[in-house]
Amino acid sequence: MDLRLPSKVLEHIFSFVDSNEDRNSVSLVCKSWFETERLTRKRVFVRNCYAVTPAAVARRFPGMRSLTLKGKPHFADYNLVPDGWGGYAWPWIEAMAEKSPSLEELRLKRMVVTDECLEKIAASFKDFKVLVLTSCEGFSTDGLAAIAVACRNLTELELRECIVEDLGGDWLSYFPETLTSLVSLDFSCLDSEVKLSDLERLVSRSPNLKSLKLNRAVSLDALGSLLRLAPQLVELGTGSFSDKLDQEAVSKLAQVFTELKELKSLSGLWDVLPEYIPLLYSVCPGLTSLNLSYATVQMPDLVELLSRCSNLQKLWVMDLIEDKGLEAVASSCKELRELRVFPSGADVDETNVAMTEQGLVSVSEACPNLESVLYFCAQFTNAALATIAKTRPNLKCFRLCVIEPFAPDHKTHQPLDEGFKAIVESCKDLQRLSVSGLLTDKAFEYIGTHGKKLRMLSIAFAGDSDLMLHHLLSGCESLNKLEIRDCPFGDTALLENAAKLETMRSLWMSSCGVSFGACKLMSEKMPKLNVEVIDEHTPETRPDSSAVEKIYIYRTLAGPRLDMPEFVWTIHKNPEIGVSHLAIE
Amino acid sequence: MENSNSYSPYSSSSVDSTKPSPSESSVNLSLSLTFPSTSSQRETSQDWPPIKPRLRDTLKGLRLRQRGYHRALFVKVYMEGVPIGRKLDLSTFSSYESLLENLSHMFDTSVICGKRDIKHHVLTYQDKDGDWMMVGDIPWDMFLETVRRLKITRPERC
Repeated sequence: MDLRLPSKVLEHIFSFVDSNEDRNSVSLVCKSWFETERLTRKRVFVRNCYAVTPAAVARRFPGMRSLTLKGKPHFADYNLVPDGWGGYAWPWIEAMAEKSPSLEELRLKRMVVTDECLEKIAASFKDFKVLVLTSCEGFSTDGLAAIAVACRNLTELELRECIVEDLGGDWLSYFPETLTSLVSLDFSCLDSEVKLSDLERLVSRSPNLKSLKLNRAVSLDALGSLLRLAPQLVELGTGSFSDKLDQEAVSKLAQVFTELKELKSLSGLWDVLPEYIPLLYSVCPGLTSLNLSYATVQMPDLVELLSRCSNLQKLWVMDLIEDKGLEAVASSCKELRELRVFPSGADVDETNVAMTEQGLVSVSEACPNLESVLYFCAQFTNAALATIAKTRPNLKCFRLCVIEPFAPDHKTHQPLDEGFKAIVESCKDLQRLSVSGLLTDKAFEYIGTHGKKLRMLSIAFAGDSDLMLHHLLSGCESLNKLEIRDCPFGDTALLENAAKLETMRSLWMSSCGVSFGACKLMSEKMPKLNVEVIDEHTPETRPDSSAVEKIYIYRTLAGPRLDMPEFVWTIHKNPEIGVSHLAIE
Repeated sequence: MENSNSYSPYSSSSVDSTKPSPSESSVNLSLSLTFPSTSSQRETSQDWPPIKPRLRDTLKGLRLRQRGYHRALFVKVYMEGVPIGRKLDLSTFSSYESLLENLSHMFDTSVICGKRDIKHHVLTYQDKDGDWMMVGDIPWDMFLETVRRLKITRPERC
């Protein structure tokens, strides 16, 4: 009896399968399911742009409407990846322009996007709606103008922390009068002033506008007139919050804020003067997300503000909040799910000493839904980690950055091994972990033993030997991304666990003790991996046993990439290196 | 010499294996644990603590203002022919000399003021009228009032 379902029925069933993880499983069942699934997948995620070729993706998913791509490794955010390494969007845009002209949405993260790319998007995708660029670089405001002028159905244009060559604010005036579909606009990372009248006109003809994130150059006064035109906003990123306004202007602005009945998310607030903070009080009870990471608000003002935010789920703030401020958060913000506390000093010496591990402990003890933490702090203790672990076993993401490298428990002077043990033992669903402070190999033994759901792990200035890497690679079953800097392991663990790397997306190691010879060996043994040595100095002039600066290893179906710069060495691009190695033997 | 209460293997050269290490296993001698021990060394290290560039810039500006320096004056600096520029806080310099020295270091080449030269890169600036001018003609303080961005031209051309 033929038990196969007709493809039309399969298609209908698969239309209810949203998650790509599920769709990936579906496509493994049998050939006909693979075929039906691929023809019906609309949203494609490629989390490493070098893991697969654009042509292969376009071929497999002809119905693609939305493409999300990630380029550079995560540590590129912290200046560890030299300029010119790669992550170019062009080959993808070119391929999609030819094979998937119905593409509507493009989301790129850590990629190099040029004006040419943006012009190509504008010219090729007739129904283009969404462009979200996160931590991208390589384009100018001219490219933005090209998008503005051509994409008649644009709904989202978001530039999140991009590095843009800012040639002025004219680009905004290129949005045609006929464009009325805008839902989200984020130009917070640009410096130049845009023409207020253009912005006001754009906002008034966009009845669906829900999210508006302005740049620093938009004055407080201008903000008032914009908000009057868009009281329906759900997300607002203000500009500079510091002009001196007269009493009348201030009360008008306060009034405008009370009209923002739908507002859930607030950010920006650059240079906010303390006397303007009360302007925000009326929106506080409705806020679920508050990003104060650029707002140098002092603790007393923060307490006033946050004690009114009873529905807050996400809080990003500077360590100016101090332990006292975090206690206020603990008592007022019971719905809190995500907390990020950033340093207010760019240097180890300047960390705010009035914020300690106690702040995080208070929040952990009091906020039952807390599941994601990023915390920069001068020092920590095992006891605090144990308390956090005990009170918050539901943590999914725990990133602790003790700013001083090798800092031990400041009360007992012991390594923080036991504290992190408590975390991984208790938080059984932990998916992302960043460790810091003084850590021996033992810490990694604990992580390897208990961190079974761990997908991403970040390590700096830790461990003693190859054992640390061995514990991680042999123990963490779900490990997907591992990034390590300044740790003293060598080749042994890496070579012994080479097969593990094919089950992971990527491995980054910098300023560790891995030798050039080991990289070559890995490359030869594991053809499904790209092993890239990033080193300014020609490795071939040094012995094979010498350590290399940076290594990035990732699995790929696409083979070695063709766009490597001169400071990236692989045995494919630089076969002479392979030959000399064999010659030594 | 060693403080037994605080572990501090800060060193800008190779780790000395005779110092006590936190465990028995030996540290790879060819590895230098290069976390610089002085803040002036750390100033040039742009990769720790792990914060994004925009926050780092914001914090630098904050620090200078807290110390009583006058307001941060970030301007963009482009090297002709290189699409990605840098940002520089001019309020941290006291004179043209310190600016040039810093730029030469930042762009790894020799940057000078004044007359064109086939060997050196010449520094120009855009003033508040939008005009491109040679750096160095007006007093430093006046320069700070009027400068909007900087461009380092290729040699031979000005």
